[in-house]
Amino acid sequence: MASLLRLPALSGTKLRGLAQLVVEGRGPYARAFENLILVLIVLSVASIGVESIPALPQWALRTLRVSEIVIVAVFTFEYLLRLIAARNPFAFIFSYQGAIDLLAVAPFYLGGFDARWLRALRLLRLLRVLKLQTHVLESVVEERTRELQEKNAALEKAQAQLKAELDVARSLQLAILPAAFPARPGCQGAARMIPATTMGGDFYDFIELPDGRIGLVIADVSGHGVPAAFFMAVARTNLRELAARYGDAGECLAQTNEALCAQNPLDLFVTVFYCILDPQTGVLRYANGGHNPPYVRRASGPIEMLDGAGGLVLGAMQGIRYPTHMVQLLQGDRLVLYTDGITEACNPTDELYGAHRLVDEVHIHGGGTPAALVERICQSVSNFAGPTPQSDDITLTVLTWGVP
Amino acid sequence: MNLRIEALAEATCVIPQGRMDFDAAPAFQEAVERLLSGAGKPAAVIIDGAALEYVSSAGLRAVLLGARAAQRAGIPFALCALQPAVREVFDLSGFSRIIPVHPDRATALAKAQPGRA
Repeated sequence: MASLLRLPALSGTKLRGLAQLVVEGRGPYARAFENLILVLIVLSVASIGVESIPALPQWALRTLRVSEIVIVAVFTFEYLLRLIAARNPFAFIFSYQGAIDLLAVAPFYLGGFDARWLRALRLLRLLRVLKLQTHVLESVVEERTRELQEKNAALEKAQAQLKAELDVARSLQLAILPAAFPARPGCQGAARMIPATTMGGDFYDFIELPDGRIGLVIADVSGHGVPAAFFMAVARTNLRELAARYGDAGECLAQTNEALCAQNPLDLFVTVFYCILDPQTGVLRYANGGHNPPYVRRASGPIEMLDGAGGLVLGAMQGIRYPTHMVQLLQGDRLVLYTDGITEACNPTDELYGAHRLVDEVHIHGGGTPAALVERICQSVSNFAGPTPQSDDITLTVLTWGVP
Repeated sequence: MNLRIEALAEATCVIPQGRMDFDAAPAFQEAVERLLSGAGKPAAVIIDGAALEYVSSAGLRAVLLGARAAQRAGIPFALCALQPAVREVFDLSGFSRIIPVHPDRATALAKAQPGRA
């Protein structure tokens, strides 16, 4: 008797380990066992329903009775395993789950009354499974969220890098614009380029020609972004080089056009107004490759638009000739070159700034220094646009001649 | 910008409506290229600008590329019925010197007949 009592005591730890493996473990055995129990719970509850069908055949009743015995046997076995596996068996017996599990089988042994409906309580265990599933779902969601956050962080980093590079490109673009107008007695010039939010391709240039005359360029590359900025750099370099070699404005544009057509993989083009001022005489010779015609504000008051517009933009087609036109500047006259970023600036109601507002500004404020007029016009466009983002580069150059 | 295509016997008309700017230009360019590379090539391509309100430099580029592609395919290409503001853009940029611009669609259709241009 003592040996019989000792036997379970000796292997108690081992037995408890095994029981724990089955009812508390996370391995495949525990999961299979758990699933088996859940299926039996559902079957046992369902059998109450089946049994309530009147006049069941004898074989069905017998099957139900046998299945009841098997189910109770399995439940009892499970109850015992849990009891063994529990660190504190009493705590298990009086726990919520322990009580329900006991209630689910006890009536069978006590006999006399059918308390299988009590097993419906065991359906609560299904909730545990659902809870487990929810937990799994939550951890999947958490995992995905973390992955997304990581990817977002990587994207943000890449975007910041790209933005930094674009900023560098934009400062380079601004840096190649001349800082000051060449010093000549009686001549003053001022210019401003305000790049749009997306990188654009406007530029202006002052070129000191070998014969002492001054070349002035204002230009607008089609499109936006890095391609436009590159094309701008190519156009500006070509024009600068060719201006030194070709003293005639039209010939210089024609040569620049050939050069640009020969190296234009993206089919971009650029509108260019190029003029050459003789600071001694005030004679201005110019050619226009598709650019908005500039204005001359006469010292006497009238504002004239320079004719000779309508030449083809540069880079579009080879073999184009550009006629050179001439205008005589008189003492105190102002020349105003601009790009369509000014006239096509929009206000919040989608109205355009328009040439008439520009002409008004030139008319009213043209009497001061070129720098003051540039400042005045930029301010006027900015006031007009208000909160509307600037969609195109704004470029403006003003020149006076014959002012001591 | 909206694009309508009308296939007539004499020519296929492309009718852009609204603003042809940096964002809209690729759709126009694609539509013209599809016309030129499709199975039933049109006898001519006419851009009807009656409903075109604005053309940016990117829009001009798209028209230029369309004209070039048509020239390569040996198909007449022309613009017609441009609104005054759009016409001014084509004139200032010099594009109306290299691409035919007609006052209305009837004239464009008459002039676009191969061999009669």
